Amino acid sequence: MHPALYVLGKLPPFTHGLLKPNAPWWQWLLGITGDFLLIGGVLFFLLWLVPSRWRKGFIAALTFLAGLIYSVEFFLPGDLKDHKNFLTGLVQQIGKATNVVYAFALGLGVYSLLRFHGSALARKRPGWHNNLAFFVAFALMLFAGFWSTSSKAKAAENLYDLLFVGVVAALGSTMFSTIGFFIVSAAYRAFRIRSGEATLMLAAAFVVMLGQVPIGAYMTSFLPATGLVSNLRLENLSYWILNKPNMAAWRGMSFGIEIGALAMALRTWLSLERGSFFDKEL
Amino acid sequence: MEHATVPVAILLATLSFCILYKICQALSQQPGDSRFIMLLVFLTALLIGVPSLVMRPCVGPPIGVILAALFWFTVHRAKRGKPLYIRRIPGLSAIDEAVGRATEMGRPMMFCPGLDPLTLPTLQALSILKYITGIAAKYRTRIIVPTADSVVYTIAEEISKEAYSNEGVPEQFNPEDIRFLSNDQFAYASGCVGILNRERVASNFLFGYFYAESLILAETGHQVGAMQVAGTPAITQIPFFITAADYTIIGDEFYAASAYLSREPTLLGSLVGQDYAKAILVFIILAGAVTATIAGFGLHASWLNWVQWFKPA
Repeated sequence: MHPALYVLGKLPPFTHGLLKPNAPWWQWLLGITGDFLLIGGVLFFLLWLVPSRWRKGFIAALTFLAGLIYSVEFFLPGDLKDHKNFLTGLVQQIGKATNVVYAFALGLGVYSLLRFHGSALARKRPGWHNNLAFFVAFALMLFAGFWSTSSKAKAAENLYDLLFVGVVAALGSTMFSTIGFFIVSAAYRAFRIRSGEATLMLAAAFVVMLGQVPIGAYMTSFLPATGLVSNLRLENLSYWILNKPNMAAWRGMSFGIEIGALAMALRTWLSLERGSFFDKEL
Repeated sequence: MEHATVPVAILLATLSFCILYKICQALSQQPGDSRFIMLLVFLTALLIGVPSLVMRPCVGPPIGVILAALFWFTVHRAKRGKPLYIRRIPGLSAIDEAVGRATEMGRPMMFCPGLDPLTLPTLQALSILKYITGIAAKYRTRIIVPTADSVVYTIAEEISKEAYSNEGVPEQFNPEDIRFLSNDQFAYASGCVGILNRERVASNFLFGYFYAESLILAETGHQVGAMQVAGTPAITQIPFFITAADYTIIGDEFYAASAYLSREPTLLGSLVGQDYAKAILVFIILAGAVTATIAGFGLHASWLNWVQWFKPA
């Protein structure tokens, strides 16, 4: 049985009380669905009982508690043998439950796609044949996916490979390859001798690009391989530019970004992100 | 699972303290019911600081008590002062200009919140989306939000709906403008490229965490003549945005966006706290560089070994 189902199968009462451990998977699925509906219903009812003026505070307290579990688990040292403390198990289970909840949200994305393309097709908007192509591709991929997982037939595997490897992956590679052309057009606009800094950037880009390819190494191959002068070889210059000044800038930016992320994490954890997701007053 | 080593824990606790300290100072200047929040922030500082310092029993508790006392003293003794200063960030100031451009041209805008699921960069991008959607609703300008994640799609839809309701025009909200395209990287990119070309977008906002598709989106926006404002914490994609977008928000300016746009004192206080935290980091780096340089000259002294404390176990 899938680990997620096993984890969720510990929820009472249907799966824990009524089902036997070796019950077929569809009974587990029904039991888990029943448990979710029951527990979800109880939770929603309890939330409905909370007075409206306390709801935001209640949600903030819940958010704080959820974040507290992760932060205390990280700060407390782990056991010497298995590097776990008393909260590690709970954090792992919460992580698995979060993944399952996330999977439910996938249905909303599919709903959005079906609604958008369905309405375009129904109204016969210009380009409606593209919307029809979406439905055909959706149905075909859905069928191929289920067929290949439920059947050991060679035809199922071939169809899946044809659609995924032959079409989807190939189209993705095509889009990726357009980046090469976009880089050329972006570089043509960016590398202009407009100012001192732009000239310096152009020279550095020139050195770094040549240092990555064999012809760059060939151009300065007449220089000795060791000694002070070897630093003028294009590949060595390129390495120095990437690993010294560029790395310093990279790390400086990383420090700033991570501090900013820490601040935002603290604000989100404490429900202090005002004016963005929350109303002005908490 | 990984757990914090002693130096990491103390460093994180110190940096978090700086940020929370300034938040509390900003909160203490606000009238109204902010004491609960101040207490929450104080408790958090205590909870972060004390467990991490417990690992060093002789050092931890006294430092934890000193930090908490300093915290409480600052909060209660903070005077109502001048508003906190934040320098101008051209990219964020250009957002209003971009919305105005789309309104005058009668063409829609597009906002890409990046490829990541609901992570910190995406949360920040959504806070910027709320600001932009508010202006778009005010000027009745259409904004298209293609997303690559289902959860982000639902939140973006709620944000947009609320923004239109707040402006008193809920009927202007078109749910089909908020779309889930695909969670596949290049399928999402090709969908966005299609939208940019078909809708002849006048302004393109690229905020969030991007990967290789960043250049595709930015270059296509440039080709259709859209004014582009981009911001990402992904360092590898910043050069592409700088060359292709009109305005780029670099590094931690991205996380300063919500404070800059909303001017909430709490968020501004957090921004100042970030600067304090960065100052502490810079000091540690400089001290480490000087120490390593001295050690590099062959000088040996026991006090030079303090840098070993920061090395992973």
